[in-house]
Amino acid sequence: MLPLIALLIVGGMYLAVNARRAQAGRQVLELQRKQAELERSNADLTATLAELTSPERMLERALSLGYRPAEPGDVEYILVEGYPGPPVFVAPRPPASSNMGEGMLSPAYTETLGEWLLRWLGWGLEAGND
Amino acid sequence: MIEQGSSPRRIKLVLLFTAILVLAMVVQLVRVQFGPYAPAFAAIESVIAEQVDKVEPARGLIYDRDGRLLASNVPMYYLEVEVRQLTDSSKKQIAAVLSRVLVLPYEDLYAQLMHKWVDEGQFRIRITREIPGDKRWPILVDQIVADVLKGFLADPEAPDLSGLALVPAPSRTYPAGWLAGHVIGFVNQKGKGYFGIEGYYDDWLVGRSITVERGYIPLEARLKPDPPAGVNLVLTIDIDIQHMVEKILEQAIEDTKSESGQVIVMDPSNGEILAMASWPPLDPNNYEPWLPREERQYEEVEENEEELVINPAVAGQFEPGSTFKILTMAAALDAGVVTPDEEFIDTGMIEVGGNTIRNWDGGAWGPQTMLGCIEHSLNVCLAYVASEKLGTSLFYDYLKDFGVGRLTGIDLAGEVPGQLRTPRHPDWTESDLGTNSFGQGVSVTPIQLLTAVGAVANGGIMVQPHVVRAVVGPEGVYWPKTTILGRPISAETADTLSQMLSVSLEGETHFAQVDEYKMVGKTGTAQIPTEYGYDPRWTVASFVGWGPLADPSFLILVRLDKPEISPWGSVVAAPVFRQIAERLVVMMEIPPDQIREMWTGGGQDG
Repeated sequence: MLPLIALLIVGGMYLAVNARRAQAGRQVLELQRKQAELERSNADLTATLAELTSPERMLERALSLGYRPAEPGDVEYILVEGYPGPPVFVAPRPPASSNMGEGMLSPAYTETLGEWLLRWLGWGLEAGND
Repeated sequence: MIEQGSSPRRIKLVLLFTAILVLAMVVQLVRVQFGPYAPAFAAIESVIAEQVDKVEPARGLIYDRDGRLLASNVPMYYLEVEVRQLTDSSKKQIAAVLSRVLVLPYEDLYAQLMHKWVDEGQFRIRITREIPGDKRWPILVDQIVADVLKGFLADPEAPDLSGLALVPAPSRTYPAGWLAGHVIGFVNQKGKGYFGIEGYYDDWLVGRSITVERGYIPLEARLKPDPPAGVNLVLTIDIDIQHMVEKILEQAIEDTKSESGQVIVMDPSNGEILAMASWPPLDPNNYEPWLPREERQYEEVEENEEELVINPAVAGQFEPGSTFKILTMAAALDAGVVTPDEEFIDTGMIEVGGNTIRNWDGGAWGPQTMLGCIEHSLNVCLAYVASEKLGTSLFYDYLKDFGVGRLTGIDLAGEVPGQLRTPRHPDWTESDLGTNSFGQGVSVTPIQLLTAVGAVANGGIMVQPHVVRAVVGPEGVYWPKTTILGRPISAETADTLSQMLSVSLEGETHFAQVDEYKMVGKTGTAQIPTEYGYDPRWTVASFVGWGPLADPSFLILVRLDKPEISPWGSVVAAPVFRQIAERLVVMMEIPPDQIREMWTGGGQDG
């Protein structure tokens, strides 16, 4: 009877751990979906902003406000000693490649029951990542 | 108290309930396995069974030199229909909703849904719309429309759209529209870059997709890894200058009734392309007509339809005509066989290799200096310089040094090398020497001519033209250095010729003058070769020039094909140069000659 109860306890624990793991997996997927949606939204807004500030649009708006392109005779030049000129534009860096997979997740979500048992028994396996 | 006999009845009820449950499960299993939606379930199952996700990195962004976004990625969605899920009601409602939201004809949409796709073996279709020319194009909707449709799909009270699916399609967008379209190129629906920057740097921009294994049963808790992203590119193009140049070119095409045209603006000191415009323009957001024939998916290609030339500035060869005289005179001055004041008696004709060469007006201009030869653009004089003074070997050696007949190596896809027949070529004859001297019988691309002439503007140093200013990857920023292609002439020769061209320009055409700035340049009018000889009517009118003379900050090439109002470069192309130069001195903040001389002389402000 005792082995059966022990088996049931271990089975129950295993089921509970896996249920939590699956739940966490679903949360991760949901967060990733939200992240992707936010990234898409961000890209959409960036493109819209770029479109609204394109030279054609800006010229239209400037002309409608009564401005006109400057001609050579309109410009006065002043020599400012030491002025280094406008700063050079440097584009943002694209995200670095990462294969961290579970790196930022608690080992509780990734280690197997066997790994947990070995760790609990102190048999030397470091937690978690497979 | 428990009644006798009730237990078996309850057991029977439980058993019956269990049997019904099991039966329902069996029915559902059969339905999933063999029912009308079996392929859809099978597809889901195969994805789960494979347990492999493909993670695509975002394609790299493209900016102009000041950080204005030129190419970006936006979420777009194809409208697809699982035809076996359509009902009579949903067909009508899908057509009605799409017709209202997308402002498309209901009948066309409904006809697509009513078509017997299953009989043709198609179970999933992509909804298309009609485009001019009785052609069809798949409908792509943006995020806003997608959100509206997703709302309908999720709402049981909303119209029945069952069968409709929104399929995300990573899509490239070009916020500046057709501006610099030929330079940027485009990306097709499969994510492949074509032409221009998109084509040349496709491998760098696209990044590398990775596959990850994921356990679905039970669902694994695992963060999505980031695949190696594509690089971001900063171009040398200034989008404001590009816009100005394209507007002026468009107006010039209209005013001169030309068939097509190109303008390139380059910084002669480092080869940075500030603007590169071509007409007709290419809208990278609607690129299908520009795809190579074999790549077109949704358009029928007419049998005799000519393929459009993408970026003629690097791929459109032409006989340059008189602008080529700059190179002939540069060679002669550098070789020391003539001086600016050397006299030549122009009799109106010269025979080279059995071919009689005459001037553009057929006249004889009498005694002329080399300066006069350039100012009046005398073919006879330049043919004399090449044949009698330089000789075959020296002349072609210089042309090779100027890179004629070779790729410049500009970082744009589709560049062609032009054509130069040298004495080693089996078809070369001595008469070629005479005609080549004034730009006939030799083909160049606009970028090639600009690069060669750039050596004169840049003190004899010929630099490689380029369009990318910085490559920004996850590891850091790479700034490509200026590449020197060669030193075809000395600095003294470049200076002498620049002075000659500046003086001659004042005499040749007043259309290229810019008040308070000394400009340098040369007009060109070239006949167009056909398989029956030169076209008697049409010409290519061009102008290549730079300024200011003392400190060249920009180098401009203007080319107009088949202008109707006048065939001459001095009449149709030179004014385009002036209009652009007048705007450039303001946009690039170049003070007038007098003020710059004062500053360099005394350092006082103006």
